[in-house]
Amino acid sequence: MPTGFQVIVSELEGPVFADANGMTLYKWPLRILRNGYSGETPGIPGCYDEVLEVTAGLMSPYPAGIKLPELDERPSCVDLWPPVYADAADEAIGKWTILERRDGSLQWAYDEQPLYTSVRDSQQGDVLGGTTRNSRGDSPAYRIPLVPPSMLPPGFAIKSTSIGRILTTNTNESVYSYEGDSATTVACAGDCLTNWNPVLAPALASEQGEWSLLERSPGERQWVFRGKPLYTHELDTGSWSLEGSDEPGWHNVFTQKAPAIPASFTVQQSIAGNVLADANGRTIYRYFCGDDSQDQLSCDHPADTQVYRLAMCGAGKPEKCLEHWPYVIAGENEESPNRTWRIRTIDPITGRYVNAEHEGVLRVWTYRDRPIYGYGLDKAPGDVHGGGIGEWRGKRNGLRAFWLRDDFMGGIL
Amino acid sequence: MMVRIIRRMPLSIFVLGAFVFGSTNSFAQNSVLKDGRIGYVMTDLFWSVYQTETVEECPRGFNDGPREQFEQLFPAHEFLSIEETQLKQEIETWHPNTEPDGFEFLEVEGGLSWGLNLDGKVGPNDFVHPDGTPGIDNEVYRAIGCIIGFRGPDGVEYIFQNKAILDRRYNRMMIELSGVDDLENDEELTVTWYRGMDRLLTDATGQKVMAGGTQRIDHRWGSSLVRETSGRIENGVLTTDPIGDLVVPWMNLSVPSIHQFKDARLQLNLTEQNATGLLAGYADVDTWYYQLIRNDSTHHLSNGQISGISLYKALRRLADAHPDPETGENTAISTALDIKMTQVFANHK
Repeated sequence: MPTGFQVIVSELEGPVFADANGMTLYKWPLRILRNGYSGETPGIPGCYDEVLEVTAGLMSPYPAGIKLPELDERPSCVDLWPPVYADAADEAIGKWTILERRDGSLQWAYDEQPLYTSVRDSQQGDVLGGTTRNSRGDSPAYRIPLVPPSMLPPGFAIKSTSIGRILTTNTNESVYSYEGDSATTVACAGDCLTNWNPVLAPALASEQGEWSLLERSPGERQWVFRGKPLYTHELDTGSWSLEGSDEPGWHNVFTQKAPAIPASFTVQQSIAGNVLADANGRTIYRYFCGDDSQDQLSCDHPADTQVYRLAMCGAGKPEKCLEHWPYVIAGENEESPNRTWRIRTIDPITGRYVNAEHEGVLRVWTYRDRPIYGYGLDKAPGDVHGGGIGEWRGKRNGLRAFWLRDDFMGGIL
Repeated sequence: MMVRIIRRMPLSIFVLGAFVFGSTNSFAQNSVLKDGRIGYVMTDLFWSVYQTETVEECPRGFNDGPREQFEQLFPAHEFLSIEETQLKQEIETWHPNTEPDGFEFLEVEGGLSWGLNLDGKVGPNDFVHPDGTPGIDNEVYRAIGCIIGFRGPDGVEYIFQNKAILDRRYNRMMIELSGVDDLENDEELTVTWYRGMDRLLTDATGQKVMAGGTQRIDHRWGSSLVRETSGRIENGVLTTDPIGDLVVPWMNLSVPSIHQFKDARLQLNLTEQNATGLLAGYADVDTWYYQLIRNDSTHHLSNGQISGISLYKALRRLADAHPDPETGENTAISTALDIKMTQVFANHK
């Protein structure tokens, strides 16, 4: 790794690369959209100090060439994503290379992907600009935090989810541990093995760090992680399953649990799984928004244009928004439990963060520095009628429910 | 365009078939009817659309979709802002109303429809069943029958839903008949709706669902979906009493959503292998509409020439039941769905 870069551990994303100031590094991989591509081709920076004025028509059915909103205030790509510049004296090392931008300046790249920081991040460990969580399908071409190579043994993988970084096999089978087992003894034997499959290590596998080996029988070695032998669950019905954890004594294995949710929040059961809910049991939603410019700039943060959100939540009328997508108000005595779940003060009419003395200010809960919402038509705990409200099933200008358990949606967490 | 027409034969043909080819006698030694119980799992469910080869039910053609409407509304879109164009249309979609949108909506103009007589009356707006039965209530058909996306075999909704029923466990609805003495004739039995938890048993192609599979009953996530009603079998046809409020999970594109039916009833031709026929009732209009647009973006709707904006107005205009006590406007619309089910063993543990 070149001088001036470091690895830091973030609350949500685990280890990420950062610059000398601890600001997380991001890449913008090329992504196929409905009518073309956005993101950066490896080796070619595509984010410049230009304010794009019209849509790119990357998402059907709306055509290209429509004027983007609030052009007087619209940021350029580099306003939001400052490039990580290199000096002429810097030298490429391994996957860290240096690219030349159109203006002749030099930019660091990793695996040929140009590197940026995010203006949304303000302190070391912030990863507010993007996420490694799988955005899938028709989401915008997101920026993704740069993650160092994992120390996992071959055959394992990690998936970032709403409940933490979950350990799986490299075929996405969830990995479990049993309370009765230890690093050197197993209680799961005999009939127990009907439903639980030990994750076996190859003959040449060796112990390293938090990973050790347990010899179940001569020549049969089982992987052990943080002192617990690992299993897959025969009855799991899909990838990244939590079903095995319904069995007494069995737990999914995480490399890192998600930061604690606010104490007043609840978990509610719906017909599709468990959702996060407020103190009254009302389902909590996150707002997702990315515009249809070639830059694919986000519009989901209070500092971004509010035109898209206001259109969707209230037909352009802020008062309607408060009725349809009410903010999740923080209790008078509640405090932020961590940096992921924070209480912010917001002007409910403009949708902008303001100071606490601002007239009419609301004290609201945020997740990754974005407000979270209820949905006006949810009447009972477990209702998720707001999920998918908005453009592209809520992925580009709309709401998605905050799922905590997914038995039906194929890895949506 | 023949698929939906030929797949439903008059009930009399099924009865004749049973007579000619041998009765599905429930007392046969290897009968799947055990202790008076038999289960069926849903493998096909879609809005019943009566289609003719010459499309005579839509003499003025098919409705335009979002793409066509956008071109007509904004021929010079490059001079306009996103607020004036795209977001204006999305606002109309997500905040629908009953005011005219300037586009003529093409309803079904034919007099024939699949479906049931839900209200027990024969009115001037009712359809006639192709077998001659009058009084058929199916206003959803009147609204969607001339929209390409809802017509088989290649309408976008038709394709997505049929695939999702097979692929998605979320949609795994099933019924279990109990207190059954004979699958040919039984004056009184109980029909219980459940959701199953398992993948479907298929043949080697993975496409054809086979009888004889097992489904664990979803007593956890699906507990709120359980419904029970009574029914009877006459000449191999099961008819149930109406269920006040039936909730059917309906996720065709990754958004877990539902349809809600009031006074829902089944009419199914039963064999020991299959149950085929109709699910009919009154669909809650707003639930119906939002299920559609939450799962299908404007892009997907465009591929089926489905204008959510225009369709909502039609659904509200044609709604024919359950008036709102305050406004008097009907909140539900009569409908019928083609349903196919395959025999399955229900595991209640």
